[in-house]
Amino acid sequence: MKKHWLIGGLAGVFALAGLAFVQGGGGEGGEGAEGAVETGQPIAFPHNQHAGSEPGQNNMDCQFCHFSAERSVDAGIPSVASCWGCHVAIPGTNHPEEVAKIQGYLERDEPIPWVRIYKISDHAHFPHMRHVNAGLECQECHGEIQEMEVLTKPDEWWTPAKELFFGQDPVWGGDNMGWCVECHRRPDENGEQQASTDCAVCHY
Amino acid sequence: MTDGIKRRDFLKVLGVTGASATLTGCSEPERLLPYVVAPEEITPGVATWYTTVCGGCSAQCGMWVRTREGRAVKVEGNPNHPVSRGGLCSKGHATLQHLYNPDRFHGPMIREGDRLRQGTWDEAEQLLAAQITATGNVMFIGGRMGPSMSNLVDEFVAAVNGTRIEYDAVSDAPLREAARITYGATGLPSYDIANARLLLSFGNDFIETGSSPVAHNKGLAQMSAVDAAGSKGRFVYLGPRLSTTGLNADEWYPIRPGSEAAVALGMAAVIADDAGAAGPYADVLRAYSPAVAAQAAGVSEDSIRELAERFASESPTLAMGPGVGGHHRNATAANIAVMILNHVAGNVGRTVHYDAAVSAAAGAYADMESAVSAMAAGQVGVAIVHGANPAYSMPAASGFVEAFSQAAFKVSFASAMDETAALADLILPDRHFLEAWGDSMPRSDVVALQQPVMQPVPHFDSKSAGDVLLATSVHLGNDFGATTFYDFMRNGHMEMHDDSVGDFETSWRLALRTGAVEHDMGTTAAPSQLQAPEVALSFDAPALDLGGDLTLLVHPSPRFGGGEFSNSPWLQELPDPVSKITWHSWLEMNGTTAEERGIREGDIVRVTSPHGEVEVPVWIYPGIREDAVALAMGGGHTNMGRWANGSGVNALALLPSESEQPSGAMLTLATSVTVTPTGERRRIATIEGSSDQHDRPIAPAVALADLGHVEEAEHDEGHAEFQELQGVGGFVPVPSEGGAATAFPLEGSRHGPYAESHDLPRWAMAIDLDKCTGCSACVTACQAENNVPWVGEEQVMMGRDMNWVRIERYIEHMDATQAGDLDVRMLPMICQHCANAPCEPVCPVFATYHTPEGVNAQIYNRCVGTRYCANNCPYKVRVFNWYRYMDENVPEPMNWQWNPDVTIRTNGIMEKCSFCMQRIRDVENRAALEDGRAINDGEIVPACEQSCPAEAIVFGNIRDENSRVSQVVSSERTYRVLDELLNTQPAVHYLRKVTFHEIASGGHD
Repeated sequence: MKKHWLIGGLAGVFALAGLAFVQGGGGEGGEGAEGAVETGQPIAFPHNQHAGSEPGQNNMDCQFCHFSAERSVDAGIPSVASCWGCHVAIPGTNHPEEVAKIQGYLERDEPIPWVRIYKISDHAHFPHMRHVNAGLECQECHGEIQEMEVLTKPDEWWTPAKELFFGQDPVWGGDNMGWCVECHRRPDENGEQQASTDCAVCHY
Repeated sequence: MTDGIKRRDFLKVLGVTGASATLTGCSEPERLLPYVVAPEEITPGVATWYTTVCGGCSAQCGMWVRTREGRAVKVEGNPNHPVSRGGLCSKGHATLQHLYNPDRFHGPMIREGDRLRQGTWDEAEQLLAAQITATGNVMFIGGRMGPSMSNLVDEFVAAVNGTRIEYDAVSDAPLREAARITYGATGLPSYDIANARLLLSFGNDFIETGSSPVAHNKGLAQMSAVDAAGSKGRFVYLGPRLSTTGLNADEWYPIRPGSEAAVALGMAAVIADDAGAAGPYADVLRAYSPAVAAQAAGVSEDSIRELAERFASESPTLAMGPGVGGHHRNATAANIAVMILNHVAGNVGRTVHYDAAVSAAAGAYADMESAVSAMAAGQVGVAIVHGANPAYSMPAASGFVEAFSQAAFKVSFASAMDETAALADLILPDRHFLEAWGDSMPRSDVVALQQPVMQPVPHFDSKSAGDVLLATSVHLGNDFGATTFYDFMRNGHMEMHDDSVGDFETSWRLALRTGAVEHDMGTTAAPSQLQAPEVALSFDAPALDLGGDLTLLVHPSPRFGGGEFSNSPWLQELPDPVSKITWHSWLEMNGTTAEERGIREGDIVRVTSPHGEVEVPVWIYPGIREDAVALAMGGGHTNMGRWANGSGVNALALLPSESEQPSGAMLTLATSVTVTPTGERRRIATIEGSSDQHDRPIAPAVALADLGHVEEAEHDEGHAEFQELQGVGGFVPVPSEGGAATAFPLEGSRHGPYAESHDLPRWAMAIDLDKCTGCSACVTACQAENNVPWVGEEQVMMGRDMNWVRIERYIEHMDATQAGDLDVRMLPMICQHCANAPCEPVCPVFATYHTPEGVNAQIYNRCVGTRYCANNCPYKVRVFNWYRYMDENVPEPMNWQWNPDVTIRTNGIMEKCSFCMQRIRDVENRAALEDGRAINDGEIVPACEQSCPAEAIVFGNIRDENSRVSQVVSSERTYRVLDELLNTQPAVHYLRKVTFHEIASGGHD
């Protein structure tokens, strides 16, 4: 038992160091640091303003911007020109200074260096189109994105630790394969497992 | 362990610390970079394909290029191309590594004293124009180029009053000259190998070099396949050394070097009732009786006579004259002799055609000799070199390096440093063919367009040579009617366009989409009569430079060609199809010769000719005559790039600088050498375990006469000698007595593959060893597709080579002293995907297991690197990452080639053939999107199958009895390697090679 806590303690130290890094790293988030909104992203992009269904929000379909989710392994990040396609006419109500940055990137012919939030390991393959075409909502994996002003992923990277130390269920899967498998194992209408749990379905 | 940590918990803790370590070690969060303006044709995550033309060698095969997010990641053969008809060779695959070669120039380079400085394009073009104006006397030395580029160069050179020299290091000039002399042909003859019933190659290595190695490889495979009537074409190789092409022969006539003409004429004399059949060559025919031929060749007169009779009776037949490896002082005459043989046997117009001129590298070395004298005499002001590297590819004795230095201003279009560019005052880095426009005319009735498949690799500020010439012309005040090479080329095609076949735009787009357009040339009358030569020709054995006791055979390397492909780690690490040696050079020597001299394999010897000397290790090879030694081209680069430099020796150092007359080709078979041991030894970087099957049925064969009752022939022989293997084989207990199994075949081998209860496909493969030529295209294709690392010479010597495909080459029968049967078995060994896999139960972490679809999967993220699986694999197909080869060996931008659909493996991971799992998943994904339709047979094509010029590989669902693989496997020739002994139940099925001779004993060989 002693050893267990020794190792656990070590893990904790590392975990805290990692957490400190993530929080510290947020401050470097490009131009957002100068603006009024602190998101860690180069532009304070509010997913809720775009996709939310509250009054004053725009209730857009996710695939309006993430255009290839239905037909490709990648969901697709909208091009700068595609952002500006709408924003050329919509200067933004809450933070027009953030919207104006889009024009800057477009004029400088520069991609917006979004900080990646959702990532599964390189050794796992997640074909978006198979999941979208199976009728899954984006929220099943990504959480209630349409309600988030600042995109955060539920601390998936220390989910295994949470499970271990606190016995909590993970909120978002990410690198936690158990979370993927749990869904793949659910029964379909015939009572059969709804998706394969063969390793080589994702790992190759 | 009651109060200790549980294994699962421990792993989780490890996982957490691992994750935080990764985070803390990372200085910058990962970014997602969108396009600023999204290109219409690109969907992220979906491959976009383009057709183009391979610019690797003079064959100009049709190519499909797979791009992902704007990067070329894989090249494949285009089955719609009328000449190459699908398939691609190793060199073609490796052109990708030249595209992303980190040694490419970063921009135009301008010499300042001893060093080169990077300049701008405008500066470089102005400088070139100023030098041309000031110095004049322009000489343009150009290698192979497309017709439009060739026109532009002609116009450019004419406008500045210069001269143009066409130069190809590896050239078919003697063949072209022979065709011109005998039939007035303008190009090379085209061969219909597939329909020949008896094929003779007089030292022509047609599946490695020549006008179209891929198409010829396909032809050879089709010819040797057993047809419905139960017969197959026979291939006889006549030459002093067996090349890859030669290893595929059914019979070998180890004739003396340079005796091809005598043998061909001796045979023609037997066939022709009357010497008059040879027209103007009647006297020659009379002079070369079979007796004279036998004397010259060192084989029996009877064997020549008998071969001649078969050549006449088994019509249609085909004979091919000596290629690059046989360019001796009478090489044109030797090719003419072979044409006379074809003529008297009635093959012209049937299997050999002179009317559809095949273009080929045929620039004459003689022109380079005059260029060298002009430069040495100070008659050249501006010397421009494009698509050639004469400082490497001309023998040192030529004096090119000294002469080139005499030119007032030296310009190179090399895209990466080479020995010639190193001498230049101005380097104008050309684009790679995958980044540039161009065209090709592989045959006079075929036009193929080369289109850029991606934006130029941004690390390198390159510009297409055509655009540079046009821009320089503007500075010189010349106008060729276009400002870009694309316009120049398109205008040219528009002018040539025949409006009666439809409008230009439509046919242009069609050509871009399909890759090539065939023009109906009408029927030009094939020349029917042999024409007399205008110069005196000698058909005798050529003179050799004396001074040694062994004849030196220098041949183009199947991996490096003449040396232009050497800076590719894939090709460096590709085992040579003959010797199985990687990276370095070796001297091939017959075992008898070596024994006489007390030389062992691996001894480093000094090879001395009157022209130079090299030191190189010996490899003992029964496929070379006792009076000859052989050395491949392509090694010994001194200034080319990080992978080529210092690897091997340059064989050209031993050759004279002399051209053959009348063709003007460079001599490759010209000198004798002495071989003396230096007393040093080295370990050969070979992947070969053994060239002997040690009486085990790994690559069995069947005699043609036994077809129809293969199984009986098998069972008659019995298998008593394998009983000791049976005792240890299989995972199902077998009845035994005294340790040896009593039942045969084993009880276990009658069990079906497991996972039979599922209604899923069962993936399987069939490889027809009667078609496989051992060319090794699949090896490089697999490496490109699956992110398989290269490990370097040192690691190969330690047995750590990582290719997923290994072509086993078993020498069953090979006799260099007399004409007779030849039996060499090629066997592509990949993971056998055993249903009863020995690797699976020994994995402690379940990293390797069987998928419900019958694939033996390797899950990289589970693997902890115990290597038990590799130890237990009877096929030695599992390879281990001893280091982070992919990180450490792959410099930017070569990693742009990586296939994004395949995991990059790190150190400590076992890997092996996955049946191209990513391609299976890709087709499944597409089928699912299309209303969940079923997957069609033949839709999933693994990289090896796609690349195979011989079409020897078939992949598919073996549970579907109508699938191609089921059909092929139903052949009586089907067997599975070691299955009946070990009960491994492989999913890879092989079809026995079919031989003409009786299979000796044991039923297994």
